Amino acid sequence: MAPAAEHDVPIPYMQRTREYYLKLGYPAYRWAHFADVPFAPLTTPLARARLALITTAAPYRPGVGDQGPRAPYNAAAKFYRVYSEPTDTIPDLRISHVGYDRVHTTADDPNTWLPLAQLQGAVKAGRIGALAPRLHGAPTNRSQRVTMETDAPELLRRCRDDGADAALLVPS
Amino acid sequence: MSLVARHLEADGLPTVIMGCAKDIVEHCGVPRFLFSDFPLGNSAGRPGDVESQALTLELALRVLESAPAARTTVQSPLRWSDDAAWKLDFSNLERMTPEQIAERRREFDEIKAIAKSKREAS
Repeated sequence: MAPAAEHDVPIPYMQRTREYYLKLGYPAYRWAHFADVPFAPLTTPLARARLALITTAAPYRPGVGDQGPRAPYNAAAKFYRVYSEPTDTIPDLRISHVGYDRVHTTADDPNTWLPLAQLQGAVKAGRIGALAPRLHGAPTNRSQRVTMETDAPELLRRCRDDGADAALLVPS
Repeated sequence: MSLVARHLEADGLPTVIMGCAKDIVEHCGVPRFLFSDFPLGNSAGRPGDVESQALTLELALRVLESAPAARTTVQSPLRWSDDAAWKLDFSNLERMTPEQIAERRREFDEIKAIAKSKREAS
């Protein structure tokens, strides 16, 4: 086995972004950071469990600019309240409103940020008991305080209302 | 998203995150994390590659089932490409000209202004 290149490590996003903002003249962002991490064991076997899906993707809205593959960063496509969509079809959700890697990915395959088709297949195959009837959208442009005090409790409430036993969270 | 996972978990709802930003997620501290060493935007697998999307979900499900404690990270064995040069590009000032940096700054101000007005209107 040949050794890997020095730079072949997970990208240090915090360091890159800090240096980047500094050069652009903006104050440094403080990422959320905790010493303690909660842990709840999965008590229902997955084959009998109901799984919730939470995404940061945004529902496509005509009239707020380019949201398609290769679209430039589109702040107008952002959303600021938790939303829900049914999981028995595939809703049209896009990621033009977040800072994905626009050099090395084009966002032309929604399955790279929304594993809903795979989840539907996993239910059919008996790997998962069921999908919660709705998926839920988590806003991305709020302060950490708003995420913790408003959005996260709302997402929890919706997962509980749907009878979820566990949740899969997919940031884009 | 890490904050949401923590909130659900604290209430007794088990979670797993699929993601590509290893340092940011681990800095926050989450219960379970399936890390794919792919460009941001590909948390659920490679574009046009159904097999990679299936494997990514299966790995996340196994992490959900079997993590022994909080802060469990599993890295997907999949590679974006044989050449890791793509990792040098993201927001890398050393690879940008002063003109590109000025352009980014202008874009950033514009984006911030749009987001601010939308947030205030919401």
